[in-house]
Amino acid sequence: MGRNESAFQEKPDFPASHYVDTRIYTDPDIFKEEQERIFKKVWMIACHESELPNAYDYRTYQHPGGVNLFVIRGEDLKVRCFYNFCTHRGNTLLYDPAGNAKYITCIFHMWSFDSRGNADTITREKEGYQDRLCKDKLSLREVKTELDFSGMVWVNLDDASIDLGSYLGEALDYLKDELSAEPLEVFHYHRAIVDTNYKLWHDTNSEIYHDFVHYHNRKTGMMQKGYFDRKFHCFPHGHGYLESMEIRYDAYEGVEGQRRLEWPKAPTACHKFIDLFPGITYNLRSPTFRLDTMIPLSATKVMIEFRGLAPKSDSPEQRRQRIKDYIGIWGPFGRNVHEDLLAVTGQARALAGVKSYLLHAREEGFNSHDEIGMRHFYEEWSRLMNRRSSGPYVPSEPGCVPDQQR
Amino acid sequence: MENPEKAAADLVYRSCLLMDQKKFEEYFALCADDFRYTITAYSPEAKVDMIWMDEDKASLKRTLDVLPRHNSDHSPLSRHVTVYTVDYDAAQKKARVVSALQVFRTSLDGGETQLFAVAKYYDVIALFGSEARLTERIVRLETRMLGLGSHIPF
Repeated sequence: MGRNESAFQEKPDFPASHYVDTRIYTDPDIFKEEQERIFKKVWMIACHESELPNAYDYRTYQHPGGVNLFVIRGEDLKVRCFYNFCTHRGNTLLYDPAGNAKYITCIFHMWSFDSRGNADTITREKEGYQDRLCKDKLSLREVKTELDFSGMVWVNLDDASIDLGSYLGEALDYLKDELSAEPLEVFHYHRAIVDTNYKLWHDTNSEIYHDFVHYHNRKTGMMQKGYFDRKFHCFPHGHGYLESMEIRYDAYEGVEGQRRLEWPKAPTACHKFIDLFPGITYNLRSPTFRLDTMIPLSATKVMIEFRGLAPKSDSPEQRRQRIKDYIGIWGPFGRNVHEDLLAVTGQARALAGVKSYLLHAREEGFNSHDEIGMRHFYEEWSRLMNRRSSGPYVPSEPGCVPDQQR
Repeated sequence: MENPEKAAADLVYRSCLLMDQKKFEEYFALCADDFRYTITAYSPEAKVDMIWMDEDKASLKRTLDVLPRHNSDHSPLSRHVTVYTVDYDAAQKKARVVSALQVFRTSLDGGETQLFAVAKYYDVIALFGSEARLTERIVRLETRMLGLGSHIPF
């Protein structure tokens, strides 16, 4: 028997840490607050360093805090990041998503800047400004930038933020051997803009109970030895990872045989992934690696960037096989990503106009189908937002740590 | 073959009609045993040439055979193709065909049609006796933002 509206809005009979209010996925005001309180404060990945191999190579980045940036490798080979914003009349400085520019010259009035952000040339400077202009006050807005051991370029809009190492803590250590064994490079890049809330995508990356949506994963993972022995581990700042297992690709009739190619220092056909708050996933399905980064565009729209990375040392045959293994499940024509995107857009469609609660209440000893990953994420979300994800409109006590984690 | 250029063009059109209707067996009947199917794109962001599908006849068939067990977007795709050039090599009995392709997606709920992708087909077609067979199809995508993506090749 169905429930009426009043019953539908009743809180679930679980601790507040075990469910969330649906409106955290749909409320535009909460989204604006997330931009201010989360995305403008935390470390985000702009690109991989291999996208800037040479001096003066640059890459643009639409930061989820709402500003447009570019990352550039200087003549000293150091990677820096700046607002993509001319300090004269506010035009976009770099229009192409990637390129090489010794001097970054605005198309509008041809002001130019060097790769350290200094204002270099101001056209007809003397005629217009005489001696009234101080170039130091016209340099670009620089953004804190650090690289991790895998070469990911991390940026943070908050000058007062903690450093990247403190932000990540030991969360990435589970993949340190594999991702630092050899220099990597990007072989695959695609974006998907989909109608859903960014947290729904990260939720999906944080729990593999949803393997039920994937025929491939049911056959190659869930029905195989070791699947339910995997444990989820939580780290400060909302990060976490799930332990690996050997995936039996040969159990899926859509491919021919088990994966054979190795990833440096990784077990054969392993599946390791790390979820980083608030929307980054490192995903190693040996012999191929995928990075998800998200750029939320509104409460109900997100741009997801998918990067495939591989060791630079690959032979052409190895690279071809690695690509084949990647695109079979993760490319735009692959089996799994399509199903994941279908599911999260279906969630968003169903959530529109609904006030109720979603369950994150599975407890299975932190194993594969425990929903601890989502509970851990929303503990951090609630802390940063000073709102409980289970009751976001109830004013929090000042300094109150939400009762999210058991 | 009396008019190999026309036979090659007809094969390209027929392949689109069959794929639109998801008549995969009939599609494969148009393909040679050594058929190769590839979808490629260039990323100006990462400055890399990418491969998004890379199949031979057997692996593409396996991929499509197992699709009913998967969760897929069931919106129909319509392939609108225009054959631009047919270069027939009489000695090799092969034609190289370049075609423009637009793929439209029509939602099941309401029937709204949207342009899904713009691409070119680079086909190699073997012509012998009265028969034409597709031996290679490279789908070179311009569109790289495909939303949910697709379980059905273009």
